[in-house]
Amino acid sequence: MSEQYEETEESKSTYAPFIIGAGLALLLFGLIVFIPLAIAGGAIVAAGLFLLFRDTVEEKFADLKETVGESWPAGFLSKRKLGVWVFIMSEILIFGSLIVGYIFVRFSSSSWPVATQVHNVTLGMTNTIILLTSSLAMVFALVSVRAGNMRGLKIGLIGTFALGVAFLTVKLGFEWPAYYRNGFTISSGLPGSTYFVLTGLHAAHVAGGLVAVGYLIARTYQGGFTKDNHAAVENIGLYWHFVDIVWMFLFPLFYLI
Amino acid sequence: MPTMKFYVGIWAGLVAATVMEVVTRSIPGAFAVVSVIILLISSGKAVTIAMYFQHLRYENKSLAILPIAAVIAVVILAVAAWMSM
Repeated sequence: MSEQYEETEESKSTYAPFIIGAGLALLLFGLIVFIPLAIAGGAIVAAGLFLLFRDTVEEKFADLKETVGESWPAGFLSKRKLGVWVFIMSEILIFGSLIVGYIFVRFSSSSWPVATQVHNVTLGMTNTIILLTSSLAMVFALVSVRAGNMRGLKIGLIGTFALGVAFLTVKLGFEWPAYYRNGFTISSGLPGSTYFVLTGLHAAHVAGGLVAVGYLIARTYQGGFTKDNHAAVENIGLYWHFVDIVWMFLFPLFYLI
Repeated sequence: MPTMKFYVGIWAGLVAATVMEVVTRSIPGAFAVVSVIILLISSGKAVTIAMYFQHLRYENKSLAILPIAAVIAVVILAVAAWMSM
């Protein structure tokens, strides 16, 4: 192994994934035992993400090639895309088990408030349409970059980001405060706790998606994507659409039924 | 990859299905029947997003094994929870 090769390998290494993992562990531990620990964990996650995104935006990993090895039965997929789909699998299990738990709690309860008496259907429907439109904007970004249209890519990504922010604004800025004013809180009973846990977890996923889309926007402005090099746009798009899919179930389960 | 016009059509269909869900809720009828109809529409929307926005329709069919396996695992969890009640 030549000295030059070793230098190249070293320059492409990063501690960011380890920092993010440790921060997440601290964040979750802190949520259970001591909130300041959770805040510290969140700060460590943010620092790790910043390092990772900064290195990627600066194209630190640009010329790293995937090693060709045994990839059966997923030889038709890139490693990263397969990784995203496995991640989505784990997310299906998280949201699926929580939704199943909600359904069991609801049908085991002797009484449950009528959805429209607690929830604002108009705001819920508005948020559904906002999220669907954000998915369309993400698709527009992908279609544009595949056609070599970088202006379209920017418009699509900024549109996705803006609509994601709009979704969270409606939820956290209008809906939740109104519920709390009406006494419908996370500790007011099972209807409240199931609603805030599930929609809160979903909102956290939207916020995480916004960080990822923000990274795509930054990298786009650095000229990091081309017609032939845009895997990150597609992979983060897969995650964004998944978050959209989850809301397609949360909206009817809480606002309509 | 389909054209943007095609994707706008998919989006319009999804928005129309959302409105249909809200309208279905106000139709008089048994709660269970109305709920099942609404959840069927939701499931249709979710599958449409996965097939077209996530491009599962245009990927190798084997890829569908991953999300389907996860959904089956959730069903197994649900059955196990139901049996333990």
